[in-house]
Amino acid sequence: MSDELNLINAAKGGSVEAFTELVHGYRERLLRFLMTRCASHADAEDALQDTFINAYRYIATYNPQWRFSTWLYRIAIRNAARLRPANIAELGELRDEQSDPLTHCIAQSERDNLWRSAKRLLSDEVFAAMWLRYVEDMSIKDIAAVLERSSSWTKVNLLRGRRALEAELNNEAHKTGSEAYG
Amino acid sequence: MDKLATRLREDAADIDAQVSAELDSRIRASLSNISPERLETAPRPSRPFSMWWASSLTGAAVALVVIALLNLDRTGPVTEPVAVNAMQQLVNPDLDLNVEAAMLTSPLAEELANLQADLRKAEKAVREDVEIDF
Repeated sequence: MSDELNLINAAKGGSVEAFTELVHGYRERLLRFLMTRCASHADAEDALQDTFINAYRYIATYNPQWRFSTWLYRIAIRNAARLRPANIAELGELRDEQSDPLTHCIAQSERDNLWRSAKRLLSDEVFAAMWLRYVEDMSIKDIAAVLERSSSWTKVNLLRGRRALEAELNNEAHKTGSEAYG
Repeated sequence: MDKLATRLREDAADIDAQVSAELDSRIRASLSNISPERLETAPRPSRPFSMWWASSLTGAAVALVVIALLNLDRTGPVTEPVAVNAMQQLVNPDLDLNVEAAMLTSPLAEELANLQADLRKAEKAVREDVEIDF
């Protein structure tokens, strides 16, 4: 039996220490992901806290046929959605770019962070699918389970997201080339 | 790994997401105040085998009683179903128009004459109205 499963069983028995150890490795990963989905850094932290609380409270419902990370991400997405205002799409146009948590948390670099472009170009769900695929290395089946979508939807939208970001990369390369020669 | 995947992975790593000590203590405090909910896993007590026999026999007895009652209740003469010509029904359907019969106060010929007179009067009134307007 794996260490993770041992910790899960101990957490099911009511061991906070086991659960804390279990989720320790997921804290930064989840917070990074939540910062891409929440309106502010504080919201992302609240969503992370709620995710761990809900995961611990309902750990008896965890089915070991899924990866533990799949289950955690599913809870995290629900919590992030709950914290988002209903009119986030309208607010998105009006919001100051400085309030975007990603703006504060992305290390200064010569090039633009592609995840910011992804946030601008892709829908929330496609963004999440891309993140789970390329950052978390999740399988199509796991991504579909996290997003509560079909495998076909996941495949098609990953392809669309990929195409959009590849086009963005090409634009960036073209712009850099023009500046270098200009 | 292709260029896009590498870039996405690198850019994700550039996002600084340190869990502060304050957040960590907040999470620990929240977790220590709750306990996992337990699933109802206790199996239902199984019924003795004789219960199945008893319930089966009861069901069969009830079915027999119902069949007997339905057959006893058939007191009227059994009528043969009338063969209905489907085409006849399509051509001349039995329409329930629900109309009231005209109350005729005179013989039919006289009524016809009266109705024709009314019609002529109405026609004359319309003609006059039209001539006045134009």
